[in-house]
Amino acid sequence: MKVQYKAKRNLLETILQVEILQGLALTLRKLFSRPITRQYPDEKPPMYAGFRGQHALVRDPVTNDSKCIGCMRCATVCPSRCIHIKTHPGDSGQRLIDQYAIDVLRCVFCGYCVEVCPVGAITMTEVFEYASYDREAIYFDQEILLANWDRFLEQTGYDDTYVNPFWRPRGGLESRLPAAMRRDVPADWTIEGQFVGTKIRQPPACKLITDTEAAHD
Amino acid sequence: MQILILLLQIAMLLAIVLLHVAYLTYFERKIIGHMQVRMGPMRVGWHGLLQPIADGIKSFFKEDIIPQQADKPLFLAAPIICLVTMLAALAVLPFAEGWVLADINIGLLFIFAMSSLASYGIILAGWASNSKYTFLGGMRSMAQVISYEIPMGLSLVGVMMLSGSLNLSEIVAAQGTSIFSIYLFPQIIGFFVFFIAMLAETNRVPFDLPEAETELVSGYITEYSGMRYALFFMAEYIGMMVIASIGTICFLGGWNGPFAIPFFPPFWFILKVYGFLFVFIWIRATLPRYRYDQLMALGWKLLIPLALLNIFLTGLLKVLVR
Repeated sequence: MKVQYKAKRNLLETILQVEILQGLALTLRKLFSRPITRQYPDEKPPMYAGFRGQHALVRDPVTNDSKCIGCMRCATVCPSRCIHIKTHPGDSGQRLIDQYAIDVLRCVFCGYCVEVCPVGAITMTEVFEYASYDREAIYFDQEILLANWDRFLEQTGYDDTYVNPFWRPRGGLESRLPAAMRRDVPADWTIEGQFVGTKIRQPPACKLITDTEAAHD
Repeated sequence: MQILILLLQIAMLLAIVLLHVAYLTYFERKIIGHMQVRMGPMRVGWHGLLQPIADGIKSFFKEDIIPQQADKPLFLAAPIICLVTMLAALAVLPFAEGWVLADINIGLLFIFAMSSLASYGIILAGWASNSKYTFLGGMRSMAQVISYEIPMGLSLVGVMMLSGSLNLSEIVAAQGTSIFSIYLFPQIIGFFVFFIAMLAETNRVPFDLPEAETELVSGYITEYSGMRYALFFMAEYIGMMVIASIGTICFLGGWNGPFAIPFFPPFWFILKVYGFLFVFIWIRATLPRYRYDQLMALGWKLLIPLALLNIFLTGLLKVLVR
């Protein structure tokens, strides 16, 4: 079988090398087009919901401290084992946190810790500019994590109901979510309106099992 | 006294040309950037205008590394040979009527000799660095320059026949002042051959095999660093300018333009040279690199026969017109 690699050209096209001229025309056209460059430090990129940036511990307005209950779920689910928690039992048997630290240099930013937290204590903010020249500065202990949260609220103007829709475990029943994840959210934050990839989720073709139907089973 | 004036003129020419070289790199980066829908240098100065100066300072203060196994005297001499020969070629270029350092009668031959010598520097650099990449780059450069000197020389034979001179000023004068009497029209085949050979002579895309980044790291300049690297870079860009000047002088009527510019006679010359340089850059932004056997086939099987045909046709034309 003879494979034809090139399109046939007539003599004039061969002499003028039309393909090269076409290529030159394209580059010349692009010379006058608008560059797509974003001049980064002057011009910040837009942040989208679900961005997994700097870690923060949510400050509880009641206790003025972290919401963490020391259940160790985040430390267990963490694939890179970068969350270090130390606790001791309190008077009424609850766990008291001695240490809550994230070694960000080991973190893979999967966001499992945020998804798995039953009280919504840990979250990831939209801050991404926290590079440093020394390793110690990016080893976040509890104070730094709480300070991260304060600074994030101050800079962006969110209040402490900041829950990122991306971090609600998807596809499950609303009633089976932990209480902290069940707080009222805008309509586009519900299961139907959640982000999947870059598109907002379309209403599914098959019927969703609602809470009442689940109760019947 | 005369020598002093001449030295002053040389210094002025060097300063102006080196400044042009510096801003040619800026020009190139900007144009290629915009052709690739980027912006090019933007950070140093307004729209990156001070970038070439920053680059110059940087390469001047960078560490100068000489490989342990290198042939030291040759390694040190190679960039100097490259740059000096290219700078020497500048001496015979007429920028305007009477604006020429050395108005010698073998100007065109002198330029050929100098650009061939520059490739000697490249080969020495490839050999002396004692590295496989530089060696391959040097070998390629040698073969490429030898192959393309021939069509280049032959393509200009037509111009020599028409003007009856090798003196560059006389070649320009022979073309007359009208835009229709420039040698581009009677020598269109010669110009075509010259244009392709010119890209190959200056090691530019699509014939940049001696420094093919994708396969040879950086070709013959792989082992060079700091100011010595910059010398090669300068030699390459001065080479581009010299070849573009030759194209302007031999085919586009040199400093003659549609109307004379008062106080600055080289205006049209510089404009045409920058037109050539723009095409160099434009082609670089467009075309991929030739394969080595294609490069050789193009040179020997297409350009040399075409150039010979051009000489024959020019001779025929001359006989018929007379």
